[in-house]
Amino acid sequence: MKVPREFYKGPKDIPHEEELSPGAPLCAGCGGLMTLRLMHKVLGENVVIVNAAGCMTLMATYPYSPIRSSWLYTTMGSVAAGAQGIRDALDIRRAKGKLSEQDEMKVLVLAGDGSTYDMGLSATSAAIHRRLDFWYLCYDNEAYGNTGFQMSSASPFASRTTTSPIGQQEPEGTFQEKKDMFELWRAQKPPYMATVSSHEVVDLAEKVKRSMAIKGPKLFLALAVCPTGWGFDPRMGDELAHLAVKTGIWPLKEAVDGVVRHTLIPSRFLPVEEYLRPQLRFRHLFEPAPHTEAMQAIQQKVDRYWEQVRKDEPAASPALNRGTSGT
Amino acid sequence: MRFHGRGGHGIKTASRIVGTAAFLAGYEVQDSPIYGAERRGAPVTAFTRIASSAILERGVITQPDLIICGDETLLESPASGVLNGVEQAAALFINTRNLEAIRAQGKLHVRMVALDITQRTSDRIGKASALSVGLGAAAARLSGLISCEQLGEGVRTELEELGLDAPMIEKNLLLAQEVYAELETVTVEPRKFSATAVIHKMGYDHVLLGTPSILAPGNAEARQTGAWRVERPEIDYDSCTRCGLCFVHCPDGAIALDEQGYPVIDYDHCKGCLICLEQCPRHSIRSKKEVRSW
Amino acid sequence: MVRRMLTGNAAAAWGARLAQVEYVPAFPITPQTEIIESLATWFADGTLSGKFVTMDSEHSMVTAAGAAAATGVRTFTATSSQGLVYAMEALYTVSGWRVPFVLVNVSRGLSSPITLGPDHNDVLAARDAGFIQIHVETCQEVLDSVLMAFRIAEDVRVSLPTLVNLDGFFLSFTREPVEIPDAKLVQEFLPAFHPQHPVFSGSQSLAQGVAVLDGATYSYFRYQMHRALENALEVHEEVAEAFSRLFGRRYRALEEYGMADAEIVLVMAGSFATKGKAAVNRWREQGRKVGLLRLRMLRPQPAADIARSLIGRKAVGVIDQNISPGLGGILYQEVSGALASAGERVPVMRSFIGGLGGKDISQGEFDWVLEALDGAKPSDGPVPCQLLFTDAEYEQVRMALSIAGKSQGGTAS
Ligand SMILES: Cc1ncc(C[n+]2csc(CCOP(=O)(O)OP(=O)(O)O)c2C)c(N)n1
Ligand code: SF4
Ligand code: SF4
Ligand code: SF4
Ligand SMILES: [Mg+2]
Repeated sequence: MKVPREFYKGPKDIPHEEELSPGAPLCAGCGGLMTLRLMHKVLGENVVIVNAAGCMTLMATYPYSPIRSSWLYTTMGSVAAGAQGIRDALDIRRAKGKLSEQDEMKVLVLAGDGSTYDMGLSATSAAIHRRLDFWYLCYDNEAYGNTGFQMSSASPFASRTTTSPIGQQEPEGTFQEKKDMFELWRAQKPPYMATVSSHEVVDLAEKVKRSMAIKGPKLFLALAVCPTGWGFDPRMGDELAHLAVKTGIWPLKEAVDGVVRHTLIPSRFLPVEEYLRPQLRFRHLFEPAPHTEAMQAIQQKVDRYWEQVRKDEPAASPALNRGTSGT
Repeated sequence: MRFHGRGGHGIKTASRIVGTAAFLAGYEVQDSPIYGAERRGAPVTAFTRIASSAILERGVITQPDLIICGDETLLESPASGVLNGVEQAAALFINTRNLEAIRAQGKLHVRMVALDITQRTSDRIGKASALSVGLGAAAARLSGLISCEQLGEGVRTELEELGLDAPMIEKNLLLAQEVYAELETVTVEPRKFSATAVIHKMGYDHVLLGTPSILAPGNAEARQTGAWRVERPEIDYDSCTRCGLCFVHCPDGAIALDEQGYPVIDYDHCKGCLICLEQCPRHSIRSKKEVRSW
Repeated sequence: MVRRMLTGNAAAAWGARLAQVEYVPAFPITPQTEIIESLATWFADGTLSGKFVTMDSEHSMVTAAGAAAATGVRTFTATSSQGLVYAMEALYTVSGWRVPFVLVNVSRGLSSPITLGPDHNDVLAARDAGFIQIHVETCQEVLDSVLMAFRIAEDVRVSLPTLVNLDGFFLSFTREPVEIPDAKLVQEFLPAFHPQHPVFSGSQSLAQGVAVLDGATYSYFRYQMHRALENALEVHEEVAEAFSRLFGRRYRALEEYGMADAEIVLVMAGSFATKGKAAVNRWREQGRKVGLLRLRMLRPQPAADIARSLIGRKAVGVIDQNISPGLGGILYQEVSGALASAGERVPVMRSFIGGLGGKDISQGEFDWVLEALDGAKPSDGPVPCQLLFTDAEYEQVRMALSIAGKSQGGTAS
């Protein structure tokens, strides 16, 4: 099931202009960079990217910057406050006639999951509360990537990070469940929020485009495939992003004023295993012996999620009724 | 000695293998890597200092006795710093099978030693990118300070620490012995270091200059991340249907669509992730091992 | 021009109002809160145009202030104590952007134990953050300094945030007659903000706060910040001169009180200097040659002026209203450092700690300090810092300890 497309029929309709120059010193195959590139294409020029400490901070490393618009690196915990200061100042200058129409800017926060789910959560929640007119892109690589892949509260259950290693006490590695950031944000009923995948380019572009007609906080949560941290061959990056959607692990949805609808539901769900297996961070679920219990727990959680969706969104049922394939 | 390679080559481990071996041989030792902004695929440098008395120096090595270069393509890139201090070095070791071609260019005035570590690594352990043991073995041999047994101890210690299993370590030990046996020690002459520094009297510069800001939009284009590429995607235009998928999926925006809608790869910046190749529904993109001008 | 009874907090708010600030991100903390409450009211009723926004923390507040200044609006904010140290990371971050705005800190002792009374550990913790620091003594000086701070901060030779520090309670809640300058004259003194380097705007691509990984380039930018702070001394002199021409009050980086022929000198900062001046007057009446040097500008440090002012005196006592545990008084170290390369020496230098958490420094304690300085000899050897704390106060503390159930066990010195 796909919601009807309003703006982009296919990938070729995605704007051809590149808002970022090539030459960013990020890993080959970085999903975070890919997501930013696509989102920025739709937002167009005159964007100021307000960045929290993380991998993307190194995009602009003196004296080079791939950003053709503007950039402000702030801190890990206060990036949304940086967006607030800029937005407010632009509004003040605009109101006083000191900022022309063409000097107007879109304010885009660029933050990792560590910043979004952990340290920066209160600053972001406050910006949503203040109804700040901005975009927020969380590129979620599910750990503190820049410091070498330590556990964050976005790290999924049973993933290995350098601070949730596999041990006798915790055979799963990360035993905590990933925080449900979408629901945390949704509790504040922002006017627009969505999950996106770098694989589903048109879905992503449509959402960004839809958000552009809306004033207030516009929040994007992107699963950002990370070859370096997750441990897979970079060429598999986009396929892995695809598998996250096809297994139902990464649901694509949006919420307007807190009302959710799913935007793309696979006609048939693949077993979660297919997504987990290619990644080194889940290797311990398969080797030396299969860790069926953990795998079942992951599958069940996904199944339960979609069962709930079937109840909440009957419109989406035709696709869902074909059922999940289970383990 | 100074080691150069790319992220993922095991350059830091190479410096540590030599460091540990020299430590086990009773020397005073220091080893350290240097991290830049770059991620996987980008140039990496590591250092090992070996002495018979206390080492009164730290950090970056600007005047190395030995330079160990794990990737010949780095020789072209001034930013990688491989050639810094090369004039006074006792030897430059290059992992290559093209030594004659490099010599023929006549650009380097230093004793050059070469061996195809990549091939030997690939033969022995089946993974061409894990160069640490081969490079470490080469450095150990050239230095003339470490015996083959001590090198073996160094390899074993470091690989165990990295969690490699016993059969893998055995294969690596054989590789180390092979490389060690194929090379000869070079003489390292003790050198007098001259240190003159002209101290700059820094005044106040206009705030426009004195602020860490950048006013040149998108100037990162000057960084040729194409040099990171190990494999090169090539488009077969005969079968390409101009669907545009490769263009949208390139993380780095290194594919543009021309006027007719055909994708064009910017090889100055393509990092060789090969996502485009995987995404192409027509399999119109093939990959080739990158060969550069040397 | 009118004269009115104003608290230090009201004077700070009036300073911001006269400076026509356009943006105030704020967060409450005692004893600063009244400043932001006044400003909130003035934005609400249209006295000020722009925006007041209640933030979620001081860390966010300082980030927003810096980001707004980087976008070209005149920005003001205020905090105190825990708030200032909570914002510490953001202080360093925004000063690195080289953006001018004014931050008022109302000094209050730091937790633990949490307290409300003033001392200077909060503001001194921020002394290396790249902010200019002006420490004031009176409510009038609060207002005047806020105005001067904007002009210094916005000067192209400086372009840095500026912190004006006033003591909690002793100034923040204390009313004194304050002259409110004429708004027209203030506009002449402080015209609208014209940023001296690019600000965020659609037609200008600007990457600000960029990572600098190379040590030499990093050194360059950090040293430029130091140079900019140094320039603030000269700029302060010019600004103070311009201010006095318009408003008649002349401020200096250092205030010298009774210093002409003084042999014994007290060095102090903040509102407690008023008490020191009283002690100087009493001793002067008895013909004793004592004086007081008040450190008004702490960053940049007017080191040469400090040396010029103190060299040749017989004894100098620095009274620190702060304590660096394991070191002693912070300003004592700063003053000693300023004298160290001066060539000549002050024969007797002594360190006193007083007024922590707002504890009074009584005239009796000042007398004790002055006597100690008078009797001190260079040959006394290394002398540790001396806490100003009376027997009576110790008794009172012991009483509290016993009420807290601590009469049993433990031994006192
Ligand atoms: C206050 C603070 N604490 C710690 C750090 C160190 N740090 C820098 S980046 C980073 C990881 C951020 O993780 P995330 O937000 O997920 O971004 P990613 O690195 O994964 O891109 C950390 C912990 C910091 N910059 N600031
Ligand atoms: S570690 Fe992951 S998120 Fe960070 S730059 Fe590399 S691929 Fe991107
Ligand atoms: S390999 Fe393909 S997808 Fe990857 S950087 Fe190069 S052109 Fe882009
Ligand atoms: S993905 Fe393949 S078929 Fe489509 S445009 Fe690229 S090369 Fe051509
Ligand atoms: Mg992360």
